[in-house]
Amino acid sequence: MDLIILGVAVVNGIVLGGLYGAIAIGLSLIFGVMRVINFAHGSFLMIGLFIPYWFWQLFKINPYVSILVAAPALFALGYGVQAILIAPLYKRERAMVLEPISALMLTAGVGLIMDNLTFMAFGPDFRGVTIEFASKAFWIGEFLNINYTRFLAFLASLGLTVLLSLFLVRTDLGRAIRSTAQNRDAAALCGINVMRIYNVTFGMGCAVLGVVGCVMIPFYPVSPSIGLAFGVRSFITVVLGGIGSIPGCILGGLVLGVVESVAAQFVTATSASIFSFVIFILVLFFRPTGLLGMKV
Amino acid sequence: MATEPGGRHRVVTATAAVGILLLTVPLAVTDDYYLHVLIATLYFAYMASAWNIVCGYTGQLSLGHSALSGIGGYISTLLLINAGLSPWIGMFVGALWATVVGVLVGWPCFRLRGPYFALTTIAFAEILRIWTENTEEIFGIELRGAQGLSVPLKGHVPTLFQFDGKVPYYYIILAMLVAVMAITWWMERSRMGFYLKAIRADQDGAEALGVNSARYLLSAMAVSSFLTALGGSFYAQYFRYINPERNMGLDFSIELALMGIVGGQGTVVGPILGAFLLTPAGEITRATLGGKFPGLHIVIYGLVLILAMLFLPKGLIQPLRRLVARRPAASGAVAPQTKA
Repeated sequence: MDLIILGVAVVNGIVLGGLYGAIAIGLSLIFGVMRVINFAHGSFLMIGLFIPYWFWQLFKINPYVSILVAAPALFALGYGVQAILIAPLYKRERAMVLEPISALMLTAGVGLIMDNLTFMAFGPDFRGVTIEFASKAFWIGEFLNINYTRFLAFLASLGLTVLLSLFLVRTDLGRAIRSTAQNRDAAALCGINVMRIYNVTFGMGCAVLGVVGCVMIPFYPVSPSIGLAFGVRSFITVVLGGIGSIPGCILGGLVLGVVESVAAQFVTATSASIFSFVIFILVLFFRPTGLLGMKV
Repeated sequence: MATEPGGRHRVVTATAAVGILLLTVPLAVTDDYYLHVLIATLYFAYMASAWNIVCGYTGQLSLGHSALSGIGGYISTLLLINAGLSPWIGMFVGALWATVVGVLVGWPCFRLRGPYFALTTIAFAEILRIWTENTEEIFGIELRGAQGLSVPLKGHVPTLFQFDGKVPYYYIILAMLVAVMAITWWMERSRMGFYLKAIRADQDGAEALGVNSARYLLSAMAVSSFLTALGGSFYAQYFRYINPERNMGLDFSIELALMGIVGGQGTVVGPILGAFLLTPAGEITRATLGGKFPGLHIVIYGLVLILAMLFLPKGLIQPLRRLVARRPAASGAVAPQTKA
């Protein structure tokens, strides 16, 4: 294998992997705090991609500006889904044993509805945004070029991760979220409104996808069917990095991005994701806490 | 499941009535389309029941059962194409292979619980699907990747699973459904059924009492894999076409789980109820409004799933069972309140 090509693949994988990591943050946060696998995660991302697309298509608003709309919109959507649909499960579960499967299937239902309503409204086409500097790239050395929009997305992913980590550590709301994750009942005894924390957490997990969607749409066309694949990829990322660990997400995303990108040099691009699944299974069997994982 | 004698009587009568109805339906329904809807309904009832044997009774959510169906369908079809072997035999060969795969995959997976188990089954199924989609041929056998395989038409040869018209397929899948119901019914009342329920309620507790949970989980997995693969072969021979996306994809697994859960997992009739509610609703929506609103039937599936999770977490079977348990009060018998 040519070392230069391999190097390019690794760099591309890192850039893409940062984005995978940012997409998975929301899933990890929600699972870490609520113990709910949000099966609709990829569908929320799909909505997060469609919002900047339509703002660009209808009003010619730059996708990066659309963040101001997409992030609050996704927050509201996530908040609503949790407050209206998932919260009743919790209230019922209080007396009974926790049944994570019902929450998983519930969110699967939400995902099916979101995917297919979008499909009914917009059809199966892939739609993209072409902004002026989308095709421009900068060169590192002689062989390596990185597309500006991808690089911006990578930086935004890292930025999001840092911001979210700081938020969880430094602010009162962040502390309340972490304490709820550690022990729901103890947090409630300390005066934390657990259900509200759950709503906010779910909203935040989705708001991240609003931001990611806006930085992603300039180079990643969206169609209503992309949700499930991104959802599954996010599960892999989260498990790789260690569930509930925000920096772990980025690490998991980077590993996944590099593996997919390098594997695509050896096999067809479509079968490259087999390797991600294999890694996922190996990690679950041999290091179920993930690379950076610890008990939340 | 302790139904008092009055309730059991009614259950037997109802079952007999439904049985006779199902046996005579093809005499009344001659329209090919409606017959097709019926066959699809029975097929999904069968598949959801097969899924239910492992997932409903053990409480472990498998979202990888589509892979087992795919193994069955592909092996029976490949044997017919390449060796001329009748699918009647091929389907059992496929089912045996699916059993081997199911047990080999289940063995490590059952150590994981809850969402981890579900995600791992997705991973295994996706590996198989992606591999099949990207493999044109292996060892000189044509798989044709994402295009899928067509079952060659050999004329109406019953010994090759090819019939004139849809009626024979109807009776075949009906017989398969009755068989899977009988197996589930028998299993529920056997020692294994009780062990499985104990494992579902509290795996550590059951193990502490000496239940070899791995053995029983794997036995249930083996039975479920075998039956699921038989269903996959039926599908391939009935439609004469099989492809990785439709027969091994995650959507299909979700559909099976959805029907089992909406109807009531861990019961004999529950998954069948789910299939009888959802499949005709889906098929008819697709046929009437599918042109204008493609995907509407899946929106309906999603809505039903959400409503079921919120209001009927034990499935549609729950209110029905209550109905059966309560009515004897009218005939004078004192019905003990059974927990649904």
